[in-house]
Amino acid sequence: MRPATVLGVLAIAALLVAPLVLPVFAMTLLTELVILGLFAMSLDLMVGYTRLISFGHVAAYGLGAYASGFFLLNTEMPLIVAVLAAAAMTGVLAIGIGWICTLATGVSFSMLTLAFAQLLYAIAFKWTSVTGGSDGLAGIPRRPGPFGFDLFSSKTGFYFLALGCLLGSYLLCRALVNSPFGAVLRGIRENEAKTLSLGYNTRLYKIAVVAVAYAFGALAGALYSPFAGFANTELLFWLLSGQVLIMVIVGGSGTLIGPILGAAFFMLLEHQLSSYTEAWALFFGLVFIAFVLFAPEGIWGLARSWFGRSQPAETKATGNPS
Amino acid sequence: MSELALLLNQSVNALSQAALLFFLGVGLTLIFGIMRIINFAHGTLYMLGAFVGYSIVHATGSFWVALVLAPVVVGVLGLLFELFILRRLYQREAHAFLMVTFGLALVTGEAIRLIWGSDALQVPAPPALSGVIFLLDEPFPVYRLFLASSGIVVAIAIWQILERTRLGLLIRATSQNAEMVHALGVDVNLVRSGVFGIGCGLAALGGVLAAPLVTASHGMAATAVIDAFVIVIIGGMGSFLGSLIGAVLVAFVQVFGNYYYPDLALAFMYLVMLTVLIVRPGGLLGKEA
Repeated sequence: MRPATVLGVLAIAALLVAPLVLPVFAMTLLTELVILGLFAMSLDLMVGYTRLISFGHVAAYGLGAYASGFFLLNTEMPLIVAVLAAAAMTGVLAIGIGWICTLATGVSFSMLTLAFAQLLYAIAFKWTSVTGGSDGLAGIPRRPGPFGFDLFSSKTGFYFLALGCLLGSYLLCRALVNSPFGAVLRGIRENEAKTLSLGYNTRLYKIAVVAVAYAFGALAGALYSPFAGFANTELLFWLLSGQVLIMVIVGGSGTLIGPILGAAFFMLLEHQLSSYTEAWALFFGLVFIAFVLFAPEGIWGLARSWFGRSQPAETKATGNPS
Repeated sequence: MSELALLLNQSVNALSQAALLFFLGVGLTLIFGIMRIINFAHGTLYMLGAFVGYSIVHATGSFWVALVLAPVVVGVLGLLFELFILRRLYQREAHAFLMVTFGLALVTGEAIRLIWGSDALQVPAPPALSGVIFLLDEPFPVYRLFLASSGIVVAIAIWQILERTRLGLLIRATSQNAEMVHALGVDVNLVRSGVFGIGCGLAALGGVLAAPLVTASHGMAATAVIDAFVIVIIGGMGSFLGSLIGAVLVAFVQVFGNYYYPDLALAFMYLVMLTVLIVRPGGLLGKEA
């Protein structure tokens, strides 16, 4: 086995036994981390593989969070059904969003995604009957079922649900980026005009990747609202879009794993700093600036060079699906 | 209040709002035009302007001194940031700037909290500008009229500088083709530093001017940066006239939207922006993206 595979297996094993050894507050942190990791990974499909820089990925997260919250509060759906339904619904909506946003390219694309996210933010604020307005949705239950299956309603059970979603999504995303579809996405990233002239309808591919990325992003959001027990407009605030983009880049874009590490780094740093100092954001900002200046390849790039495998990010991502 | 007077009153409000938005947007668009970067810290520098202005007003007792000095202070800080950090990144992708300016926004925001505390701070308008004057038998706040006219004065000044001076020529040329300007023997890096500093200074000018109206508070930055983005996107990234049109449009949509349909006002602004982008993806006066 390659060292990377061994490390991967070890990491998964560690995540699986974590509930046995970690105290409760650490498990809460770890669950949130798994959810944020999934969110960041979903954005990597757009940013890292297709060079579609989204400034509005909270749209996916917030839609998922509000939808699953709404389903759990207003219908009899069991937790897992509500979560999956929210992700699927957002994925379908995102076809429309993707259709409009891909009218533009480059910076304008980023700005269109931001505009959509802000529009949703405004709607969430004002459509009180559905979204609860500025109070948001509170008291979202983790309803058991179907068939009396209630493992996921407990704190530990919910952690396993989130972890399962992350691992499942990772495998799906990896299969996607290693497929011929993924090859076209990388073609768009490297040279869209060339890919177009090879006969691929690049716009359709871009719309598809937006829809898929939104669906996975919504899955993360859909997990967050029953995890926290609430959904509010914070989950649609543009600052979170900026943060998740930074998680992707700090972790290492175009690697799927990198953004998960980026999310972990982001959360742990925030947690650690905020327990030492009131002014954590100050150091936080300095760390980011340092990263851009001294570690442009991100955490994953750093890790790779430590392990002496200094090939560029492309090779790994494109690489052999072995 | 008569219909006409009401309309006039709201228009003055909208124009004063437009002036503040213009100070924000024009800096952002100039910076984008020259450097092709989106300055995420723009809203925070606007906020910094308000807080620095507060301190200067308290130290000197004069709003006018603050109005001149605060933009200079913030502009110099922006200049230093460009010199020591941004300059190392011109060969890198747009990502890098996004992260670095996001980092700057965090650092500055927190530094403001450390220096001035978490409370909103009152900045009094100078006596000459407080109070109201009567037009058509209706009261108009003098400060808002002052804001609106200062917006017009600054807009004309920037326009004249861009069109008539050598500096303006260099700025326009660099935004069209930096390499060519460099080849002609101009220190393009100097132009970049200068424009970044000026852009930050303009944001701070907006912040000082906004302070008597809304107090200097930590909520300022987030609203300001998003408004600035919207203006620049509507007008077209890098277009001076676009940022002016964007600021006026957004201000009127905000003020009249808030008056007639308070529930929908927030959504209106983004709907306008979406419509513009769908019809013209590069913005009203921007190049096709």
